[in-house]
Amino acid sequence: MSEKKKYRSKKGAERASLVAIYTILTIISVIWLVPFLLLIVVSFRGEPVGVTADYVFPKQWSFNNYVKLFTETQFLRWYGNTLLVSVVVTVVQTIIILATSYALSRLRFKLRKPLMNLMLILGMFPGFLSMTAVYFVLKEINLTQNLFGLILVYSASSAMQYYICKGFFDTIPKSLDEAARIDGASRHTVFVKIILPLAKPIIIYTVLSAFIAPWGEYMFSSFIMLGDPDKFTVAVGMKMWLDNSSLMSQGYFSVFCAAAVIVSIPITALFIWLQRYYVEGITGGSVKG
Amino acid sequence: MADVSLKHVYKVYPNGTKAVNDFNMEIKDKEFIVFVGPSGCGKSTTLRMIAGLEDISAGELKIGDLIVNDMEPKDRDIAMVFQNYALYPHMTVYENIAFGLRLRKLPKEEIHNKVVEAADILGITEYLDKKPKEMSGGQRQRVALGRAIVREPKVMLLDEPLSNLDAKLRTQMRAEISKLHAKLQTTFIYVTHDQVEAMTMGTRIVVMKSGFVQQIDTPKNLYNYPANKFVAGFIGTPQMNFFEGTLLKTGDSVTVKFDNSEAEITVPYSMLYKARPAYLDGKKKVYIGLRAEDVSLAEEDIKSSKSVIKIKVSHKEELGSETLIYGDINMDSDGYGEGPTRIIIKDSGEHELNAGDIIDAALKVERIHLFDKETEESVLPRVPEYNYIDCEIKDGKLKFFGAELELPNAVKCADLKGELLIPTDAISFDGDLKAEIVSCENIGGVNLLALELNGNRLYAVSPECIEGKTVNIGIDFKKITVISDGQAKISPMPELNEFACKFVKQKTKDTVEVNGKTKKKKVVHFGFTVGDTFFEASDETSQKIFAALGIRDAFTTALKMECGAYHLSVADHGIAAEAKELLDYGTEKFLKCMIGDSAVYVKCDEEYNGSVCLLPDFEEVGIVETERDIKIV
Amino acid sequence: MNLEYLKMSPLEKFWFRFKKFFRRLPSAFAAFFKAIPKKLYKLLLAFAGVFVNIGKAAKEGDWKTRTSFAVMGFGQLCRKQVLRGIVYLLFEVLFILYMVFFGWKYLVKMGSLGEVAVVTGKDPLTGITTYTYYDNSLLILLYSLLTLFIIMAFAYMWYQNVKGNLLSQQFTEARLKLPTAKDDIHSYADKNYHKSLLAIPMLGLVVFTILPIFFMIFIAFTNYDKAHMPPSELFQWTGFENFVNVLGGGVTSNSKVFAFTFTEVLLWTVVWAFFATFTNYILGMVVAIMINKKGVKCKKLWRTILVMTIAIPQFVSLMFMSQLLADQGLLNNLMLKWGWIEKPIPFLTDGTLARVTIIIVNMWIGIPYTMLICTGILMNIPADLYESARIDGAGPIRAYMKITLPYMLHVTTPYLITQFIGNLNNFNVIFLLSGGNPPLDMSGVPTGAGKTDLLITWLYKLTVSESQYGIASVIGIFTFVIVAVLSLILYNRSKSVKNEEEFM
Repeated sequence: MSEKKKYRSKKGAERASLVAIYTILTIISVIWLVPFLLLIVVSFRGEPVGVTADYVFPKQWSFNNYVKLFTETQFLRWYGNTLLVSVVVTVVQTIIILATSYALSRLRFKLRKPLMNLMLILGMFPGFLSMTAVYFVLKEINLTQNLFGLILVYSASSAMQYYICKGFFDTIPKSLDEAARIDGASRHTVFVKIILPLAKPIIIYTVLSAFIAPWGEYMFSSFIMLGDPDKFTVAVGMKMWLDNSSLMSQGYFSVFCAAAVIVSIPITALFIWLQRYYVEGITGGSVKG
Repeated sequence: MADVSLKHVYKVYPNGTKAVNDFNMEIKDKEFIVFVGPSGCGKSTTLRMIAGLEDISAGELKIGDLIVNDMEPKDRDIAMVFQNYALYPHMTVYENIAFGLRLRKLPKEEIHNKVVEAADILGITEYLDKKPKEMSGGQRQRVALGRAIVREPKVMLLDEPLSNLDAKLRTQMRAEISKLHAKLQTTFIYVTHDQVEAMTMGTRIVVMKSGFVQQIDTPKNLYNYPANKFVAGFIGTPQMNFFEGTLLKTGDSVTVKFDNSEAEITVPYSMLYKARPAYLDGKKKVYIGLRAEDVSLAEEDIKSSKSVIKIKVSHKEELGSETLIYGDINMDSDGYGEGPTRIIIKDSGEHELNAGDIIDAALKVERIHLFDKETEESVLPRVPEYNYIDCEIKDGKLKFFGAELELPNAVKCADLKGELLIPTDAISFDGDLKAEIVSCENIGGVNLLALELNGNRLYAVSPECIEGKTVNIGIDFKKITVISDGQAKISPMPELNEFACKFVKQKTKDTVEVNGKTKKKKVVHFGFTVGDTFFEASDETSQKIFAALGIRDAFTTALKMECGAYHLSVADHGIAAEAKELLDYGTEKFLKCMIGDSAVYVKCDEEYNGSVCLLPDFEEVGIVETERDIKIV
Repeated sequence: MNLEYLKMSPLEKFWFRFKKFFRRLPSAFAAFFKAIPKKLYKLLLAFAGVFVNIGKAAKEGDWKTRTSFAVMGFGQLCRKQVLRGIVYLLFEVLFILYMVFFGWKYLVKMGSLGEVAVVTGKDPLTGITTYTYYDNSLLILLYSLLTLFIIMAFAYMWYQNVKGNLLSQQFTEARLKLPTAKDDIHSYADKNYHKSLLAIPMLGLVVFTILPIFFMIFIAFTNYDKAHMPPSELFQWTGFENFVNVLGGGVTSNSKVFAFTFTEVLLWTVVWAFFATFTNYILGMVVAIMINKKGVKCKKLWRTILVMTIAIPQFVSLMFMSQLLADQGLLNNLMLKWGWIEKPIPFLTDGTLARVTIIIVNMWIGIPYTMLICTGILMNIPADLYESARIDGAGPIRAYMKITLPYMLHVTTPYLITQFIGNLNNFNVIFLLSGGNPPLDMSGVPTGAGKTDLLITWLYKLTVSESQYGIASVIGIFTFVIVAVLSLILYNRSKSVKNEEEFM
């Protein structure tokens, strides 16, 4: 009899905790979703009210902001710029990171440890500090206010982001390499035929991170593209709107929101689609058990 | 399909730890060799050196006729099976097996045929289109084997291939691997830590411990004649029982006394002929080893046996077909701990026993093993190195076993009583002493003759078994030792002369024939200098030196030359040395000389004084790296 | 491990370890500095080795080897290693061309950083003032540095060339086979594969990271600021003046302000990094545990909702948040309208509140990320650990404290450290959210920095809007030192970094 009671009370506790969890999760979800919903809602606002509005739902629902975005502003151009930069950077950066990680994880050479330490130390330097010098280097080869210059800056130092990828490679058993080398493979063949096919999660992770980064990067792009709105990336351009109070008072806040929505949709979709690999990659790489 | 030969192979890590020390072995074609030992003993490292996955620090590794030290693994024509199978997870079984063949760019048809054949042999044809993930451990193991055999390698290397399988599968795969070996007729080298695997599969077993080879022998010999305590304890389950004790010889029998116990048995002296008399003084500690199956509780055995001891039972383990009885020969101990008095007995299980019972057990004395307590080496080696004999020297005459021999000049010595050590290979068959031949047996390629000299046992090794009842023997005086009062009064002549040398290069202007014309041309010669004397080295020798030391360090590393007395001769040119004295060993004479600080002995019949020149025979000279003591040539 | 320690309660244990850590700190530092002479000695030996090798090559080399001292690759060309020879030779030719036509003229001016910046004249015909620019200190510094780098690279190549020549001579003498061009090329896919893989990444690293860092370190020793702006003005070497100024020892009143600002900003940076890292970490883990709890349904949905914050570009959400939380932002307006508050809450304009707001917003951004990572690891925690804890009578909170947290901490230390370092230099969150505001004053004197400025955003302001390059470089160097010290301590404390691979 008493046993039965205990059993029931245990089940009750379980249910209570589940209810609590659902409540918390719902609240969290709301907190996380509200800003985005707001963003979307505001982007459909028809009336030219600035940030100072004191209501949520638009008095006039309209697509005007989107129309404006593509007709009156340079947004489309910026979007194109960013997309171009992203795609090229993704390709270059992924190759560099994979190559560096493989070399540091699998090959044994004299400078391996010093190189890893060097990159660790370089990573501690505030990247921004090197900006002026980078700027003048670029200026000298005529690559300031130039998308190629930006691509160069973004991808040149990508070797330093080897850490997670190397961590992932480290988890692939070494005996696979050895078996392949006994089977007659050179180190290059091992890399291409054995390691890369097994590194799908980390490749996707690297690609995703590389692709997303230029969309959100502000520091370098604002510096390098200073003074040429034609070459802005979305981040620089949209920040410019926000900083311009006269634009803001003309209801550009809604346009800003519309732009934000346009920027977010493809990336979010991509992300949700590849979420599984992303998680696999990062847990495989950043974690040492 | 090839021999594998390892000569003086070392693995030294950069931090100085020696993982493998002076590994020497000739593996014949089609042998199934098992490396066995506890983890960290260097067995896997050795295998990986053969595979080319680890660099060889020093020594020579030959597969077939090729020295493969610096060859990439892919060029060595070997295949390897890994402990975790190391199957490529993204490829199907077919692709896994075909991978090596594809890299070697074989025609598609041929690859297909070979893969299908290999799959057929291993019974995995139906899984060919599966990925490794979808298969069980045993199936994966077969795929790994398939990947190895499909390339028809000269040598198959297997690194603990069965340790990830469960017990039943392991037994089954063990049989299959043996079958595979019989079918393929290839050399197999197999690494395991499991002595049962080693015993059941190997044609020869290499027992290793902390980087050193302990014993290389067939499974049966390892079991019956372990060379040291480690091998004795490692081979066989349950582990051999070890007790500490002493041996005391009285007349024709020897009393074996167990420490911390009342137990005492007597064995006939004839069993201990090969032991050094010093062990039989009742003081020197030895380990007494006896396997669990060599202790009997059967009543008829106890009745008929003279060597019965008392055992206090502590507990037992029922195994069904037999019972392991744990007990103690010390009546005050409980038999649970692994102490020097604990005893395990394999019994048929018919006896009703309770903890605390005191029972009688009969020991099979002829199966007893004895090991030195300090060195842990066997006291009764199969081929003894020395005959240990009590002797007396009087008026320049050596007396032992009722025989009397005139000592030659070289080993003249004051009168004394002491112990004479005659190496078994120092007995020649052309002397004046008459000995009876008791037996002759061939042990691992060596013929061991048991002789009787005036009723005393002598052992000798000989190139062939000598027929007949009696034989004339003599003693090679340059190899004997006489010890008295703990001091060597007569020491043997060292077998190898050692002296420092350096590897150098010399440039000379030689006349060389080029395209029919004679030309003066600068030529570089490599060779060794001892003192100021230069000897040109053969190309092969120089290559070996370069391979072992590197082209840059070869000229700066300290080296030693090793060379026997017969391979040095006095000549009109050669190494400058100081002649000291001519040693007369009766049949032969040797000249003792000094090269720098090192004494060398040269076969020579004439007396010399002052400076002489010595010429080594370079066919027989060894070169050793002094610092790491690694033999290069 | 002593038995006393095992007896202690968790708090005592923590206190014990805390004390031990700080007690050991001085000796750890001492050990670090003691190791320096040894390292230097080793370095010296290595250098000596280089010269010994060169001397050896000069002594033992034949005429081919000796010629290659001047004509790189000569020996290889003579010994039929054509490819290697050509590469060396080409390198030498390019180097000489570079030095003659470019590098040299900058290098000679490195000491003075230029003498004449600009000459103004009047065009005699039009009467318009013309400017002729001569020395640009900035370019002189940059290019002379570049030239130094190239000289070092050349010296290294030259040394390799000499060594290689001697080696191939020795090979020929020893009658060993020399590697052919084909072997060389093959080796770059096998034995020397690391060189092929790392060549381009390292080149990028040197030109776009290492060179600029050296450049900025040098700038810290100059008076490069608004008053000394090339090309119209020169700047000069000033030694340690900037360092003294930042540390408050300078003569100008500015110096005191800098020192004050530096300490304030530094303190906030460390506080920020600590909170930003650990709030995200702990709460992200809690969320992950909740989602992964057995019996919770729609796991994927919950996760996706959270993951959207990672997917949406950070600048979008940050800028949007900054608008939302502004004094006249939507949130304040709404609350005013509903009568919850009487005047706007200064989310981003009051110093303390702004700091709290920023940490909270950062949680909003960071928690999903941690959640994702934790999800993977949580699944790896062996279930039997929890089962045995349940049998021992541990409730969910206890199980979390005793099993989940230690396990996660153990496994994710490297991640935590990188996060911490990343947060020390987190530009985006601060700059886009608050821009560093509200302004930070030193008893009424504006400092130029804001109360929420991190070192890095302050640096940005110093360079972009105030052009205080010299000072900014000094602060950058300090930032580096602080980050380096903190992360080295953390790295050394975490064992998982050390055991990169087990010695087999």
